[in-house]
Amino acid sequence: MFWNTGKVLAVSSPGGHWVQLNNICNKLEQKHRVIYASPRSQYQLKKTGGRTVHNILDVSADNKPMLIPLAFQMLYLFIKERPQTIISTGAAPGVVAILLGKYLGIKTIWVDSIANVQQLSRSGRMVKSHADVVITQWEPLSDGKTILHKGSVL
Amino acid sequence: MIFVATGTQFPFNRLIQYMDDWAKENNEDVFAQIGDGEYEPKNMQWQRFIGLDEYNDKIQQASVFISHAGMGNIISAKEQGTPIIVINRQAKLGEHRNDHQAEGLKWMGKLAGVYTASTQDELYQQIAKRDDLVIASGDSEDNLITLVDHIDSFLTDWHK
Repeated sequence: MFWNTGKVLAVSSPGGHWVQLNNICNKLEQKHRVIYASPRSQYQLKKTGGRTVHNILDVSADNKPMLIPLAFQMLYLFIKERPQTIISTGAAPGVVAILLGKYLGIKTIWVDSIANVQQLSRSGRMVKSHADVVITQWEPLSDGKTILHKGSVL
Repeated sequence: MIFVATGTQFPFNRLIQYMDDWAKENNEDVFAQIGDGEYEPKNMQWQRFIGLDEYNDKIQQASVFISHAGMGNIISAKEQGTPIIVINRQAKLGEHRNDHQAEGLKWMGKLAGVYTASTQDELYQQIAKRDDLVIASGDSEDNLITLVDHIDSFLTDWHK
């Protein structure tokens, strides 16, 4: 199968989403090959020898027309890297990656940002019924079936 | 040195003005990351964006880290062993899309090493106490390991 590479593509917007994504993926890297995609990647290069961070457009869901070029960027990345699984902590770039990836047969994991305490984030609600796995970092937001809770970045 | 950061997504002119005013009245170095904000500080050093390594160095060197109420900076403060004071953005002032940061202050304030302020007065009061602020202990990774193991169980299953 085309996606059967064992690679994980980790996607998020900059800032808090990116910090959480790194917290998770720094540990996942002990067992899995992880490739990253984030806007402003020039600020994101942590002390990382062989780490691959692809720069993508800095788009928010408020700027819907820009989601289209971002989707093409993502498609290009998918073909280039052939991830078997996509993981995202948010926000708009993660939604685009997960919806597009899911459609193409890539496995998808959404980890909702710890900043969302009262309800799933807006982007989380967009992917909720599409991602293979949806995880909240707050126990009360889990329904035990489609929205899972086990652990958090803090 | 006090390090101030607005985050990457939106400017936070109000916080930068508060801290610029504070820096004028107080004899302490302040360094601010101001993002795309229009207000340019006069009484403190500043930069719009800072690379992640230098950013983390600044947090580590600071006696206190003053930030918008963003999770990323709370996590980074814990990692660098620096107490953090967070002040929430307000949607009605155009500082964010919604008021989740105001809701966030309630539970953020319960985290070790995290102090909250929602007004200029509260911010200055917290800064005045900076030598007494407690640092979060960065030793417990239990929750993170639980989360990562959970994710890894799916990956291991799928990537057979």
